[in-house]
Amino acid sequence: MSLLRNLVIGIRAVFRREKDSKDLDEELDEFLEMAAEDKVRRGMTRGEALRAVRLEQGSSDVTREVVHAARWESFLEICDQDLRIGFRRLWKSPGFTTVVVLTLALGIGATTAIFTLIDAVMLESLPVAKPKQLYRLGDNNNCCVMTGTQNDGSFVLYSYPLYEHLRDHTPEFKQLAAFGSFLSDLSIRRLGGFSPAQPYKGEFVSGNYFEMFRTSAFAGRMLGPQDDTAGAQPAAVMSYHTWQTRFGSDPSVIGSSFAINTVAYTIVGIAPQRFYGDTLRSDPPDFWLPLATHPDRWLFDAGPEWLYLIGRLEAEAAPTEVQARLTVELQEWLGSHLEVIPERDRKDMSQQHVRLTPAGVGVEQLQTDYALGLRLLVTLSALLLLIACANIANLLLARGSSNRSQNAVRLALGAPRTRLVRQMLTESVLLALVGGAAALGVAYAGTHVILSLAFRGAQYVPIDARPSVVVLGFTFLLSVATGIAFGVAPAWMTSQSDPANALRGAGRAVGDHSSKVQKSLVIVQMAFSIVLLIGAGLVTQSLRNLQYQHFGFATESRLIVNIAPALAGYTPDRLAGLYQRLEDSMPHIPGVIGSSLSWYSPLDGNNANERVYIQGKAPDYRWTAPSWDRVGSRYFETIGTRLLRGRAIDEHDTPATRRVAVVNETFARRFFSNEDPIGQHFGMRDVSHSGDFEIVGIVEDAKYQDTRGPAYATFFLPLLQTPPGEPVQGWVSAIELHVAGTPQNIEPAVREAIATIDPNLTVLKVVSFGEQVARNFNQERLIARLAELFGVLALILACVGLYGVTAYAVARRTNEIGIRMALGAERTQIFTLVLRSALVQLTWGMAIGIPVALAGGRVLADLLYGVKNYDPMIIGSAAIVLITSASLAAAVPARRASGVDPLVALRYE
Amino acid sequence: MADKPTDLVQGTLDMLILKTLVLEPMHGYGITVRLEQMSKGTFRINAGSLFVALQRLQRAGLIKSEWNATENSRRAKYYILTQRGRKRLDSETREWGRQVAAIARILEA
Repeated sequence: MSLLRNLVIGIRAVFRREKDSKDLDEELDEFLEMAAEDKVRRGMTRGEALRAVRLEQGSSDVTREVVHAARWESFLEICDQDLRIGFRRLWKSPGFTTVVVLTLALGIGATTAIFTLIDAVMLESLPVAKPKQLYRLGDNNNCCVMTGTQNDGSFVLYSYPLYEHLRDHTPEFKQLAAFGSFLSDLSIRRLGGFSPAQPYKGEFVSGNYFEMFRTSAFAGRMLGPQDDTAGAQPAAVMSYHTWQTRFGSDPSVIGSSFAINTVAYTIVGIAPQRFYGDTLRSDPPDFWLPLATHPDRWLFDAGPEWLYLIGRLEAEAAPTEVQARLTVELQEWLGSHLEVIPERDRKDMSQQHVRLTPAGVGVEQLQTDYALGLRLLVTLSALLLLIACANIANLLLARGSSNRSQNAVRLALGAPRTRLVRQMLTESVLLALVGGAAALGVAYAGTHVILSLAFRGAQYVPIDARPSVVVLGFTFLLSVATGIAFGVAPAWMTSQSDPANALRGAGRAVGDHSSKVQKSLVIVQMAFSIVLLIGAGLVTQSLRNLQYQHFGFATESRLIVNIAPALAGYTPDRLAGLYQRLEDSMPHIPGVIGSSLSWYSPLDGNNANERVYIQGKAPDYRWTAPSWDRVGSRYFETIGTRLLRGRAIDEHDTPATRRVAVVNETFARRFFSNEDPIGQHFGMRDVSHSGDFEIVGIVEDAKYQDTRGPAYATFFLPLLQTPPGEPVQGWVSAIELHVAGTPQNIEPAVREAIATIDPNLTVLKVVSFGEQVARNFNQERLIARLAELFGVLALILACVGLYGVTAYAVARRTNEIGIRMALGAERTQIFTLVLRSALVQLTWGMAIGIPVALAGGRVLADLLYGVKNYDPMIIGSAAIVLITSASLAAAVPARRASGVDPLVALRYE
Repeated sequence: MADKPTDLVQGTLDMLILKTLVLEPMHGYGITVRLEQMSKGTFRINAGSLFVALQRLQRAGLIKSEWNATENSRRAKYYILTQRGRKRLDSETREWGRQVAAIARILEA
């Protein structure tokens, strides 16, 4: 009650300050007048009386100030004053302000960028109702299709019949939904339009999937159980992002028909704007389709385990009890379906169990993949921010020393120390807030850069780089905390100065305890930055070595086009015709020098391997099965792999002719160490097939899968030749084009040519060969760029730190320098004097940092490719960069010192 | 002035000011004079402490003020005890009595 009253009065007083203070003045004057009159009545003269009153009551100004300060709202006024003073002082020293704000923007910005990612990836729940009620059956991200028991007995992937069993026997779940553990490539064409089929990503989900998430449609409706039945009209839901970016938010999409993998579906609705499905990942599903419409019906047998399950628990259900119950149900089901458990897995059956894990953030894929990296980045950025704080504290000290006498005068005139401290703290918090505001820009850009580095090649990443409210709050608090952290020490030290000493000009000592602390700090920073610089140099060189190594093929002027004939409804008998038309039309595209077809292309993420049996030799199981690929005519010349001996596969190698194969050097060396491989025969499956293929040529080794190790032993078969009586396995999915000029320029012509051949044939991807290879190094590139970024940040901070400490020392030693000069020291001597002390810190920093970098490089050794952790070039370059930057940073105050006028310096306070 | 003026016991100034206002409204100077007289010169309040205390009491709603003519027909701000102030004075007086009695018992024991 009285608190509220006090508040109201206080706020009213702020607005009536003028009147209030006039009231107080009048009352006070009256008071003094009455006191004086009293004394006159007792016999004093008026002059004596006034003097006595003033002695008794003190100065009326002080009284007024005391009464005023007793009001709580005066705090606000003081803050207001402090802010004004702070602004004015910062405005007057733009150089200092700029350096500090930039340092802060980088330090806080880096931390905020990382926090934005942590917030988006780790903390943000799925954008659905009551995400805390969601639980997933399973605790890891094993993917795709399995059979039998699962890793460590923890069930993660479920067969469709098992899903139905669990769904129908666990009433604690309001809904238990299933969805594919992997996304499917879809080839989609809007019916009634003329555009060729386009590639999309789709997810097959159970009918109750959206009810389980309690997601309602942005427009139209979501899928329901009625869509997930055998006879239902195929229906699909489109993601908001796809609707917006690919269909221009066209409302007529809802209710219209689309050919999805040649089957007609009706688009019944658009998902909500922020909904990206069950898993945060790059390129989330564009379409959600009912499980009942999945083309591969064999997936619905009891054997294949391929579904993830997420359910919504009733509020009152206890997860541990439900988990126990699920395990019992799982055991029951496995017990009654022994036929789906392979012999090898029977012994593990009793350990199979369900681990119920909270799924408020969905399936934790990115979360698991990036947890360690993000934690590392947080540590690094927090460390940088701490260093930034220490540096700014140094700068403030250097600056504070020039304000010493001013502060001393203020103290001597009776300003309370707390007021001085508060004023300086206000100034530093102000600085930090300005820095924090600038940091938001840095953070936004930084998050963008990190996302684009981490997900190079992705069309869409459903992570918003814009800072959320949580992030804004975080940045604000961080800025205030930063401001206090770097402001409190200098403020305290300044306020502790004895006014008498300061006014006498004492305390211009040559060195004191605090300067030792500062110097050690600079040494640590120097060490830290050389470690980061060397680290950045190593990972950058390693990335360069990886990217520009000899792969065994040429990436320049090459374009890779990915297609999927199966999605367009092709059957094995129609493949030969399709291949023929592709081979005929590609060379006619203007700008194409050569073209070929293959099952898959190097470093596109695919790899197939198969055990081989050499004719006339005992099976050798020591080796891992060699890789193999199917290639068309002119394949090797198109991708730039050299033919070493014999001939390449050409247009005469058809299903009707002799079965041939080309092998690479490693294959030849491994299986035919001292014979001529050409003319030898081998086959797959078993020994009886060892005469199937005859080796007709040897090509140089090329890397198809692993970029770091040596090339795998590989054999190449013609596109359509198969062992007798077997269907073609490995349909063409890649078209390689060798072009004149920039590969991307001919993309439209290629798309047009393919659409002419068959409008249903989807072009999944068109990418230059170089880019395809580069995407193999996303992680290395991310690490390298971040290491460079943090290396440069650390370097800047270390230089700011060195500058601050040196400038502080120069400011404090101005007198001493003046004396030295008066005694005959040359300006160059003064310059070297200052520079030398800075370089001593630099040398110490390098003496500590380089061994640390060498030791740390050993940890990196496994990550590095083609560069040793003691690479002298890199260590040397890092040292040169650090020495140059540090010398420049120290030269500024050193020049100022050598420019000191001895006469001024001697008078200097 | 036989005795040196002493400092007030912490927190008692508010109570004493309320006491001086029981009989009639008074202006600031009047309050100091009355306190000095009643304490026989033991307590002397300077303007700073007085006005801070008056401001505090007024904000707490224990007293209110109005401008009025003085006996010398000048203008002064008079302070008036409110109903709340009267109750507070009663309870504080009782509390003070209890404490003083307790302290006295301890000191005399």
